[in-house]
Amino acid sequence: MDIGFSPEEQKFRDQCRDWLQTHIPAEKRPLNADEALDFDKAWQRQLFEAGWAGINWPERYGGRGLAIVQQVIWLEEYARARAPWIGANFVGINHGGPTLIVNASDAQKAFHLPKILQGEAIWCQGFSEPGAGSDLAGIRTKGRIEGDEIVINGSKIWTSFAHVADYQELVLRTEEGSQRHKGLSWVICDMKAPGITVRPIRKMSGQVEFAEVFYDDVRVPRDNVVGGLGNGWAVAMSTLSFERGTGFIADQVKQSQEVDDLIATARAEGLIADDRVAEDLAQLKAEVSAVRAMTYRNISEVEKRGQPGPEASIIRLFTAELGQRIERMGVRLMGERLLDFRYGDDDLVHDYLRGFAATIAGGSAQIQRDIIGERMLGLPRSR
Amino acid sequence: MDLTPKDEQETLRSATVDWLADNMPLDQARARPDGIWQGMEDMGWFGLTTGAIGLDHATEALLFAELGRFLAPVSAISTAVALRWSDTEGKVALSLGERILDAGDTGTALGLFDGKAGLVSYQAAAAEPSLDLSTAQIILDDAPEPVLLSAPEAVLHFRLLTAAYAVGCAEAAGAMATDYAKIREQFGKPIGSFQAIKHMCADMAVRSQVSRSQLYYAACALDGGDPDVDFHVGAAKRLADQAALENGRANIQIHGGIGMTDEALAQFPLKRAHLLQFIAPTAAAELL
Repeated sequence: MDIGFSPEEQKFRDQCRDWLQTHIPAEKRPLNADEALDFDKAWQRQLFEAGWAGINWPERYGGRGLAIVQQVIWLEEYARARAPWIGANFVGINHGGPTLIVNASDAQKAFHLPKILQGEAIWCQGFSEPGAGSDLAGIRTKGRIEGDEIVINGSKIWTSFAHVADYQELVLRTEEGSQRHKGLSWVICDMKAPGITVRPIRKMSGQVEFAEVFYDDVRVPRDNVVGGLGNGWAVAMSTLSFERGTGFIADQVKQSQEVDDLIATARAEGLIADDRVAEDLAQLKAEVSAVRAMTYRNISEVEKRGQPGPEASIIRLFTAELGQRIERMGVRLMGERLLDFRYGDDDLVHDYLRGFAATIAGGSAQIQRDIIGERMLGLPRSR
Repeated sequence: MDLTPKDEQETLRSATVDWLADNMPLDQARARPDGIWQGMEDMGWFGLTTGAIGLDHATEALLFAELGRFLAPVSAISTAVALRWSDTEGKVALSLGERILDAGDTGTALGLFDGKAGLVSYQAAAAEPSLDLSTAQIILDDAPEPVLLSAPEAVLHFRLLTAAYAVGCAEAAGAMATDYAKIREQFGKPIGSFQAIKHMCADMAVRSQVSRSQLYYAACALDGGDPDVDFHVGAAKRLADQAALENGRANIQIHGGIGMTDEALAQFPLKRAHLLQFIAPTAAAELL
């Protein structure tokens, strides 16, 4: 075992660092999705043109086809340089795109993947519904097959970037009367199609980023089904592991910076003399360090076996809860100044309020613990 | 960069587990059979990182985590550190100041004195049981005068191996609880099917994974002369101590009534965790 990087990897790291140093946008990324759209698209375009988008995507679709280690190095340097969040491109780059790479037809890949990488097409995710949150198999949005079209009726919710998106990865019930995981399909839905209504929802942080989406006789070509009609559950699950792979390393670097900032603040304001504060800060610093160790282990596992082990669920859960502990520490050190928060004006308070999403979105902390208990430890199913 | 054990490390690890399962089962933790120390010495565990064997700390940490899982004598830690950094041959007990752990069959102990590793000599005396039923202790009348070891790495080595023991201890508690949750039935079902129990088991797995990962990183940092090695080894010890303590407690809760008894084994990892937390602990200030 070793934690060193080869000379080639080190060279790649230097290249990442040099480019980021001179290209990170000077202005801050706007908070709300509609105001941030132009910023996000321009930044993604810039990343693509310099060869930093899709480092581990296939070359024929505009990626670089490099190993996972390079992807990790890039993400580490990206976070270290405090480069902006990829924002509206998040779903396409981290979820929709990888799902297409694994499951889509050549024609679908050739059309969509370059657009995603270049920041030309914004994607959103249509999984959750008012009645299907943690119980995702309870999806009720329907797709009726009519000739070579699918006619969609129903609604989705908590859809990030829906009001600025061009396409949606939409999971719906295409088989009348089917139950649970059966009869679902994963469909590419054009968000500009007639019959779609998007109602943005403001979060308690003040940010407008996610939305509710209504479908009223929306027609999409049957060719937009990815991975075969009725295979939606398998397609959706095939790439959940992408979310549980390398992505945490950027969180780790960011969390490490946040903890160092908190320690500096606590020193400057004399709060570190309080033993409880010192204990908790030391704890956070040790835990953040362990996230890097866990992620490196996970990546080593992927290099050896081609996919992350079930332990990736542990990293996801731990990173999410650690992020919240850091945010809560930040708020604790603020004291009463917390009460002066106005929507949009304090990053720390904003992150604290937005951070509740970390243990809710994409599989709640409770569902993650079920997954760890059942798939990793072999405990009997709860449901 | 590779933080998974290589094949040869895995081979050594499984040979270690096989020997420990045969010779050091947990149900004999109260009274180890005669000759166990000689058996451990024959396995070569005390000199893994000496010039004669020349393995790295990563391999050593991997094997010491297994020793910790079977609640092996804590003097294996002090013996390995003393052999590596002072060429002291034979068994070396572990000193927490005037408290000498695993004191039998030797008159030398290794401990930390004002943050530096040192050796002390003491007169043999009848050992008394400690909270950890697998570890006997004697208490000296006066604080011993140490001969300090010159190598600064000795402290890191001492802390790393103790962290490895704690990682194994945490995993032992987690495995014991999870195995029990699969077979113990209430309301007509294994209790592990209930989320209240399942999520406790999941949290134990999280703590084990967190502490084992940091242990690997710390061992590699020591092997590679990383500038942040002090931090990484300190963090490993802190996280491992917490994992061992919290898993030890959760294990007893999941066992219910039987977990509280003297007869059951559930008490062993918890009591060992309490012992380990006093060996080379990491203070908050060392990490800030």
